[in-house]
Amino acid sequence: MAEMLDPAALSADDARAVVAELETLADDEFVMAERYIDWQVRGPTLEADLAIANIAQDEYGHARLWYDLLEDFGRTESELIWERPHDEFHHTTMAELAFERGDWADCVLRSYLYDHSERLRLEALEETTYPRIADRVGKVVGEEHYHRDHAENWLERLSEKPRPNEAHTRLQDALDRLYPHALTMFEPTEHEEQIVESGIRPVPLADLREDWLAITTPFLEGLGLTVPVPDLPESGVRGRDGTHTDDWRGLYNEFTYTYEMLDRDPAKLMVDPDEAGV
Amino acid sequence: MAPLDIATVKARAGPREFGPGDDMPEEYRRAATRMIQFHANSEIMGAYIERPYIRQAPSLDRKLAVSAQVQDEIGHGQLLYRAAENLGIKTREQMLDELANGEGKFLNCFHYPINSWYELPMIMFFVDGAAMRRQATLKRTSWEPYAHAIDKICFEEGFHIKHGEDILREIASGSSHDRELLQEAFEKWWPRILQFFGPTNDQSVHGGFAMDVGLKTMTNDDLRTAFLNAYLPKAEKYGLEIPDTPHVEYDAEADRYEVAEEDLDWEEFGEVARNEDPTGAEQINKRHRRQAAVEWVREAIVDDSPGVGTTSAAAD
Amino acid sequence: MRWEVFRQEKKKDYHVHVGDVHAPNAEMAKQYAQVMHARRKPANSLWVVPKESIETVEADDHDVAMGGLTQREYRWATNYNTGEMAEEIQESEAEQVEAERERKKAAGDQ
Repeated sequence: MAEMLDPAALSADDARAVVAELETLADDEFVMAERYIDWQVRGPTLEADLAIANIAQDEYGHARLWYDLLEDFGRTESELIWERPHDEFHHTTMAELAFERGDWADCVLRSYLYDHSERLRLEALEETTYPRIADRVGKVVGEEHYHRDHAENWLERLSEKPRPNEAHTRLQDALDRLYPHALTMFEPTEHEEQIVESGIRPVPLADLREDWLAITTPFLEGLGLTVPVPDLPESGVRGRDGTHTDDWRGLYNEFTYTYEMLDRDPAKLMVDPDEAGV
Repeated sequence: MAPLDIATVKARAGPREFGPGDDMPEEYRRAATRMIQFHANSEIMGAYIERPYIRQAPSLDRKLAVSAQVQDEIGHGQLLYRAAENLGIKTREQMLDELANGEGKFLNCFHYPINSWYELPMIMFFVDGAAMRRQATLKRTSWEPYAHAIDKICFEEGFHIKHGEDILREIASGSSHDRELLQEAFEKWWPRILQFFGPTNDQSVHGGFAMDVGLKTMTNDDLRTAFLNAYLPKAEKYGLEIPDTPHVEYDAEADRYEVAEEDLDWEEFGEVARNEDPTGAEQINKRHRRQAAVEWVREAIVDDSPGVGTTSAAAD
Repeated sequence: MRWEVFRQEKKKDYHVHVGDVHAPNAEMAKQYAQVMHARRKPANSLWVVPKESIETVEADDHDVAMGGLTQREYRWATNYNTGEMAEEIQESEAEQVEAERERKKAAGDQ
């Protein structure tokens, strides 16, 4: 293993690389959580509701662990989440996608695809040279187990009945729609080389992608689903580079709305009528 | 063995006196089901109007807290429907169906949507505070499974009200714009909050019997007085002005707050209570659409192997 | 399906009934039980049991004589008059006296 980095004495390149890795980790968790909470009070059963709320809260908690480390580099949590421009977020585009009312298949499939990529990434991070990440990986890994079990249980349960059936059709539709975006989980940022070389994440994303395909493909096929060809979204959005779908813009506007509104004095926002062009 | 007769039930009525081992007369079982179902429905509909504020929360702390509160409320619904099922009148599925299709009754305050963050503490502090006041008295209800569920609810609910108060405090110490909007929100919700406990001359249809058999242990009037004693000073603490109408006056001699009943719109309350008010009907319909949208899931996971369980198709 | 949930607070405690969860199978029942019945106060262990697997015997049932109907003094310490006794025997007798008092109280209330 490469030599441990000293958080207090990072090179400029390493600092940028750490920030890049942390941002993708944190943003992924935060945006996944935002779409999970969409399901609260809308779950198929009371118990399902409680479980999804639990998972959402875990993900916010994980996001916080990573945003916390980003605070070392100068920005507060509020600044990182509520004041960062929408095109400076680096989460996977899969996390931001809106879903049709009632599309529980999307919820559990999205969770499945994400949770496995998350696990592989965290396992790689267990060997990180950045000690602050190493300290926190265990906590996140511990909770993600429940998430994977939850998603897999649901997928299996939804795939039990003889086909064709509605649940299966919905799962296939969701898979077709989510899959290209899922692949953006493995898109590199411009700092990927540095991240791997310095050991911040010793395993390249390309390797994680292969491992993920090897795990998820047989599982999904075992459920009777056809796994799409692993192509990235046609529209060209990649997430990791700040390019996102329109769904993200809508989501971003929603979660920043109250923050923007509070503690403002309209007098400061309004143009002085004497100086207005009218 | 015949069920207990009503006279015996009334004579024995006391805290946690009756449980699943007792053969309760139908009138008692229906009254208890009605009460508990109303409570469970209220938890669900309260959660429903709060949920948009998980996304709206302006900090991670607040997001987590609002998510946890909404989660708790669904959990409370689960416990309460279960407590009601023990009475043998309705299943959980039936009660959930009734709620979705507009037959299920619930608290007046949850018939109205929350339109902004400023209105959130009106629900999370004042309304939940009123609910907590009522719940504290229900620890002494005569139906033991209900009291048992209440114990768990009270355990969880303390943080809801304190968090609601924290949100109120934060807004109240914000800009003058914030404080103005907060006052507006308060004035909008105040009459509804005063009506939370229902008609205080106890002309409510079912109130008398529920008191006689120990299901209900405090009159609407006493509950409201206790609530005002605790929460009016809080409102003042956060700079909220109590509106002139509905008129509320402190009677020092009687050591209680008097509310001018004629200032309250009991007609609207009645409509709301019967699910006939358009705003409330819209809330019910919106939720119904959401529930209908996931019906396919419930159907997909029904175990239809022979000889398994006899509960309805909506069982999971 | 309905599953009854039993909680064990700490190692070596008995599992106590705390409520139920609705779930299609044991895996989901276990997942749900954790969130429904142990998210605030983590338990050491949870059991989930299909409701229909639970067999019941009720004291009220007509052919049930819970604990027996005929005289059973022979198994009560109070039945024997043997003078002084060791401390632990005294404790056992005291417990039985208390239990008998409770039983009479419950029977009297019916």
